[in-house]
Amino acid sequence: MRNSFKVAKWEINRNMKNKSFLISLLVTPAMFAFFLFIPQLFGDSDSTKTVEVFIADELGVAKDVEQLVDQEQLQWNVHFTDMEEGEMRTRVIDEENTVYMAFTEKALDDGVVPVYKTEDVNEDFMYATYALEVPLRQLQLNRLDLSEEQKTAIAKGISIEQVEWRNAESGQNMPTGEYDPLKRIVPGVFAAIILFSSVMTGMMIFTSASQEKKEKVAEIILSSVTPVELMQGKIIGYFVLGITQVVVWLAIGLPIFVWKSDLPILEYLFVPELLVLVVLAVAGYLLFAAIFVAIGATVEDMTATSNFQGLVMMLPFVPLIFIAPIIGDPSGIIAKVFSFIPFTSPAVWMMRLSLLEEWPWVEIGISAVILFATIWLMMKAAGKVFKIGILMYGKNATPKEIWKWLWA
Amino acid sequence: METILSVKGLGKAFKERQIIKDISFEVKRGEIMAILGPNGAGKSTTIRSIMGILYPDEGTVKFHQCEAGKIPRHKIGYLPEERGLYKNVKVMDMILYLAELKDYPIKKAKERALHYLKKLGLEGKEKVSVEELSKGMAQKVQFIGSIIHEPELLILDEPFSGLDPLSQDVFKNEIKELAQSGTAILLSSHQMNMVEEICDRLFMIHRGQRVIEGTMADVKNEYANFKCTIRGNNEASVLERLSNVSRVEQKGNVAVIYLNQDVVVPLWLRRLPETLSIDELSIDRISLHEIFIDIATDQHIVKEGDASYA
Repeated sequence: MRNSFKVAKWEINRNMKNKSFLISLLVTPAMFAFFLFIPQLFGDSDSTKTVEVFIADELGVAKDVEQLVDQEQLQWNVHFTDMEEGEMRTRVIDEENTVYMAFTEKALDDGVVPVYKTEDVNEDFMYATYALEVPLRQLQLNRLDLSEEQKTAIAKGISIEQVEWRNAESGQNMPTGEYDPLKRIVPGVFAAIILFSSVMTGMMIFTSASQEKKEKVAEIILSSVTPVELMQGKIIGYFVLGITQVVVWLAIGLPIFVWKSDLPILEYLFVPELLVLVVLAVAGYLLFAAIFVAIGATVEDMTATSNFQGLVMMLPFVPLIFIAPIIGDPSGIIAKVFSFIPFTSPAVWMMRLSLLEEWPWVEIGISAVILFATIWLMMKAAGKVFKIGILMYGKNATPKEIWKWLWA
Repeated sequence: METILSVKGLGKAFKERQIIKDISFEVKRGEIMAILGPNGAGKSTTIRSIMGILYPDEGTVKFHQCEAGKIPRHKIGYLPEERGLYKNVKVMDMILYLAELKDYPIKKAKERALHYLKKLGLEGKEKVSVEELSKGMAQKVQFIGSIIHEPELLILDEPFSGLDPLSQDVFKNEIKELAQSGTAILLSSHQMNMVEEICDRLFMIHRGQRVIEGTMADVKNEYANFKCTIRGNNEASVLERLSNVSRVEQKGNVAVIYLNQDVVVPLWLRRLPETLSIDELSIDRISLHEIFIDIATDQHIVKEGDASYA
């Protein structure tokens, strides 16, 4: 084990002094920030552009409209005109950044208000107009000469809702308004960052093992340590690198996030549940690290990597395919099945646990047992493959050969 | 001399093919022992079996001063045939890592590294990145890496391959010095001139089996007989009828006459018939190189398995 730590230390030092690692360490959060903020900038620039809105107010709702524009902070420059609808139709062709709306008696009768907008006006504009439906609807009802009761009944509409009965009986029912989804999502996202980062550094294990083989250093190193020590050293070393990455990202990201949003992130983050999620992330890393280090030892020429090795490298991304059904129904059959498959379980659990209010501890327990048993088996198998693969020069190993090594 | 390593009855097969069979030898303190043989003879397999990188099917490897079955990795220096260095690290870091893996004190390793870098003509290169080194320089760094921890036993697989004559000389002298200071050295090579110059004993393998074994002097006495090369238009049958001839090789008008061990050269020369056509004539001893070629091409100086010499 002491030798493993020496190898780990070496891998850490080597990468920490490596420019490309340092750059990716700092650039990745910058990229995230870039993709997070840049669309906002573009979005802002678009929506800050004030739209000229001409309204033919036959119905006398001018006051209500002005009030709404104020209230919703719409970037509208409202003008009231006596223009005919036909004129609107012709004028809209040549103009820019302008919208015409005809609040006419006819529109009220038909229940459709015609809007003419020039092509450059954003589609989002139409969402903003929904706000105007309320006073118009009100006007429509007023004209019908109904009693107050009738008006309220019609305005209220009707909806069909599911009632939460489970907790209601025990009397501990949390008022629905108080449940905050962020409470679960924040630790989940944190764990996902750890998993993502460590899977990424896991990819570096693959490269490292493959390079060791390609640059033929392996045999020199193996005159001092055993293959298993070398493999363990790599797994430990890259784990530390992955964690370092997370720490750096958070050190940069958290302050920005806390500053940009008003959410009490830290309060949500440091909860006991985080521990379970972090254990899952670490388990996911160990599993994929074992697979990657072994596969790396079978590959000398990365450009000639066979489909088999390429497929194995895709394993960590399988859960992404099922992201929609799992988020759609975190207790559904797909979510449950993939929680028990070791290759998908860490990521699937992260998604499920971020969404589920009540954690299914029995399921978590069973899948943890499966996961850790698989990790143990994979480590054993990886040791065997690594031992033979790392010293095989000149070609990539075929799946058939790897299979044979496993039973050697 | 104290024996450091004994190999007994080593055998290894890959699938059906026997790579090495019944290989036995010893390496003693302060001695340079060479494993010779053509490509694919089983040299590297033998060395890898010693290093525990391959597991032999049969036979034992014993390191003295160490319990049976264990490999005292920190007392062995190893320069494998397939060798390389991490690319994006500094020379000194690389050497110190190898020293650290051998549990050698870092401070002392640093001093030794600087000493050897200077000695091998790499002074001032300790902060250079490995990828900037030429092949020969890299090989010197690998060599330093294999001896940095003052090993008791140094195993060098093809140490001279890929080196220019100047660097070969540097290596040769260094290996000699290490042996003089008491290191047991096992090296494999197919560069016979090098082996002839520095080795005390040799062990020649062909097709995985021992063909010649013994001290350099004994082997030379036994196998390095005289040969006479004659340029001239002569019938092979005439040459074969000369006295003390073991074998004649003729190519065009050049004939090589291999002489017996007990030939007296001046006498033999005087008895050459006057009818021979001689444009050129030379007499010299068969070199180790020729013995090697002879074995590799299955000729007759030595028969396989006929190595009663030890």
